[in-house]
Amino acid sequence: MTALPLRPGHSGRPRPQRLREMSGRAGWGIVAWVVAIAFFLPVLWMVITAFKPESAAETWPPQFIFKPTLSEFRLVFSGMGPFLTHSVVATVGSTILVVLLSVPAAYALSVHPVKHWRDGLFFFISTKMLPIVAAIGPLYVIALHLHLLDSIWLLIILYTAMNLPLAIWMIRSFMLEVPRELLEAARLDGAGRIREITGVILPIISPGLVSTALICVIFAWNELFLALNLTVTNAATMPMYLISSVPQEGLYIAHLSAAATIASVPVILVGWIAQRSLVRGLSMGAIK
Amino acid sequence: MAVLETGAAPTPKVALRPRGVSRREGWQRRLPLLPALIYIVVVTQIPFLVTLWYSFQSYFFDVPAPAHFIGFSNYTTVFTNAAFRGSLVRSVVMTATSVILAMLLGIAFAVLLDRKFLGRGVVRTLIITPFLVMPAAAALVWAGPMLDPNFGLLNYLLEPFGVHHVAWLSTHALGSVIVVMIWQWTPFMTLIVLAGLQSQPSDTLEAAKVDGAGALATFRELTLPHLRPYIELGILLGSIYLVNAFDAVRLMTNGGPGTATTNLPFYLYQQVNFAFDVGGAAAAGVVTVILTIIVATFALRMFARVFQFEEASG
Amino acid sequence: MAQVKYVSASRVYAKGAPPAVDALDLDIEDGEFMVLVGPSGSGKTTALRMLAGLEPLDGGSVEIGDRDVTFVPPKDRDIAMVFQNYALYPQKTVAENMGFALKMQRVPREQRDRRVREAARLLDLDDQLLERKPKQLSGGQRQRVAMGRAIVREPKVFLMDEPLSNLDAKLRVQTRGQIAELQRRLGITTVYVTHDQVEAMTMGHRVAVLRDGQLQQCATPRQLYDNPVNEFVAGFIGSPAMNLQTVPLTDGGARLAGATLPLPAAVRAAASTAGLSELVIGIRPEHLHLANGSGELGGEVMLVEELGADSLLHVRLAESGNAVVARAEGRKPPIPGQKVTFHVQLEDIFAFHPGTGARLAG
Repeated sequence: MTALPLRPGHSGRPRPQRLREMSGRAGWGIVAWVVAIAFFLPVLWMVITAFKPESAAETWPPQFIFKPTLSEFRLVFSGMGPFLTHSVVATVGSTILVVLLSVPAAYALSVHPVKHWRDGLFFFISTKMLPIVAAIGPLYVIALHLHLLDSIWLLIILYTAMNLPLAIWMIRSFMLEVPRELLEAARLDGAGRIREITGVILPIISPGLVSTALICVIFAWNELFLALNLTVTNAATMPMYLISSVPQEGLYIAHLSAAATIASVPVILVGWIAQRSLVRGLSMGAIK
Repeated sequence: MAVLETGAAPTPKVALRPRGVSRREGWQRRLPLLPALIYIVVVTQIPFLVTLWYSFQSYFFDVPAPAHFIGFSNYTTVFTNAAFRGSLVRSVVMTATSVILAMLLGIAFAVLLDRKFLGRGVVRTLIITPFLVMPAAAALVWAGPMLDPNFGLLNYLLEPFGVHHVAWLSTHALGSVIVVMIWQWTPFMTLIVLAGLQSQPSDTLEAAKVDGAGALATFRELTLPHLRPYIELGILLGSIYLVNAFDAVRLMTNGGPGTATTNLPFYLYQQVNFAFDVGGAAAAGVVTVILTIIVATFALRMFARVFQFEEASG
Repeated sequence: MAQVKYVSASRVYAKGAPPAVDALDLDIEDGEFMVLVGPSGSGKTTALRMLAGLEPLDGGSVEIGDRDVTFVPPKDRDIAMVFQNYALYPQKTVAENMGFALKMQRVPREQRDRRVREAARLLDLDDQLLERKPKQLSGGQRQRVAMGRAIVREPKVFLMDEPLSNLDAKLRVQTRGQIAELQRRLGITTVYVTHDQVEAMTMGHRVAVLRDGQLQQCATPRQLYDNPVNEFVAGFIGSPAMNLQTVPLTDGGARLAGATLPLPAAVRAAASTAGLSELVIGIRPEHLHLANGSGELGGEVMLVEELGADSLLHVRLAESGNAVVARAEGRKPPIPGQKVTFHVQLEDIFAFHPGTGARLAG
């Protein structure tokens, strides 16, 4: 019953199998790091260029050592105000609307499904397959008649429609993972439908909800086509500010990089921080 | 009991309610669906109906005359228009190439990320970043700091390999645009495939080891079939987004040189914004939609398979 | 055709943690059915996985048929394994599952098909099942496919990791017999892991009892039952478990339930050499004989479990109030609340060291 001591040398000396394993692991690690850095390089280069003075940005060979300056960032910040506001309002507004609409809809397609839930879900997904670009002319005319052209409301409405199908699909997948016994137990405890959603389902799927909202935020924040076609000044968003930062002549690469960095950074940071949630949303939510 | 029951079908002792759910219950089920359904019908279907209507009208923004019915002449123009056909083909080429290559890269990256190594979390963070970059920003940064013939980083990095100041956006416009699209969508594919890899039960992989399968055989015989629904989903979602790709085309090449990178979205954008031809663009849009529906029908079948997979895996 | 040998094989999962398997020495003979049994965390599955090559060794070695396979990858060990959850390949049909290992060995297709069909016949798997996917099978069928996948290989060693734990009770008993029968017919060395001592006793030629990564005893089921080397093995083997009581030593024997239980001379001698004032005695339930008021041990029946052929009496002993279980005849057992006495024969009393748990002079 007394613990037998391990034979000396057996645990101390690394064994050939271990060595092979460790070197194999290191090999894969190096490959992965090289690939990842190469993949990340454009982003890195964008940020580096943003800190250059304009004169150092367009040189051959490209300069890697320079005196960093914030002057381009200052310039970008100075004109950014209204664009930023529009982007935030359109992104946040549409995301809230998406969540409000998609939670009940996902519920009706999963927990207590309507009779033709399959058709319903297919319909939502199929609207995603109709290219919005095909209707851009008439959309313009409709917006014109409804006096919604160049209005932030128009973007909120359209971004909501753009993200709704994916949100319903994802939230539905998360709801399917809620254990049935839990819902039945809530039923037996006298919970109605509303209580079932707010008291049982929402707390369980809240991580999924976060990742869904996150993906909606990414797509809404980054959207250019609709904004470019349907807004001018009153609702112009960050991507449009980015375009406007490209002048017709003169040196502009550092300025452009600074603007691109600032426009991208909010979503990149949110994405990095909420990475697990994002991964889950994109993958698990999308398929299971 | 068994003997007694052989004569006739057993009659239930209790009168059964009619099958299915009651009408009241049915509406209770439908109610939560309605807001989203009505919303999506109004916002996405009405514009398409209006598109259909305009496709039979002659209507130019820059002409004061009101819209008037001209029958199928917009469609005749569309079908005889080489520019439309060209943009259609380019759209297919762009979407297919970028989705497939992004998926192949995504599979490779996912296999890498599925292994344990030092700093795996950081590597994953780096790899997903391109997906988070604003497409407009990505397009501009690639067009300028990365690909510029005179000061672009890529030419500098390739100089040791005998590449000298290539004007990528003029000489390899379509390829350059596709590269940027692949760069942005590979992370998405990686994450989906990675989820698939990590959902593969470890005991079947161990069983394969014991059964004498090497790494390659295991991947080909077991992992790939397991990944199939994940790969299909990635391709499907990627196609849905990339068929609408506009930012890279508009900001990197503006459809050019000539029409070398003009895809459908950019073509329609030009029709509305520069030719002011609402009717013509609407007809082109309708044709696009019909073609999309044909493709989407196949895509939806794929979705149906994903459903089967979902049900089968519980 | 292979014997299996563990030579002080050890596995440590984390630095500083106690070894999951601690210097295991075990010789398994060619054609033997060896069962590794123990509670969860005893290291039995780890030991099996070390033999499979799925778990590296941190010390010692394993040998299959005189060949040191410590650093040989699983695929080159010529073993077949049945997993707890079967680990069938979900995208492959039953036939493909069973033939996969042969395909990997590049066995020609016709030969593969023939061997798969032979194995299927051996296991009573219908031909039409061969084209189904694992998901379309019942739990029992899946279990048999997993067995079939192992059999088709004709490997040197079968490894089985709790292959019956996912079956319902009735099917488990039935399959238990089939596996033992099949193994005898094929004569292939088998290492079988289970936490169920009934499975261990009924199936194994020999049973190795593990606890906390250490081998306690390896012997035939009968020897384990009749001659456990320590308190743990005595308590683990047998159902219902042996009654174990820590009792004070007196001149005449051990004091229990207000009476003095005589102890064999050898036990008393061993206890006095060890300088013990108390010891653990163990009596199996069937060795507590109802004695109509004349027995040494008295107590009150608390609960009667009728099993049909016999019944189990849960008895609270007089004085100490300790609970023991006794096996009584099925008909007319005492009723709860009734006072009973038991007679115990001298040779049926086991005694263990209260500190180390080691058997005192059997």
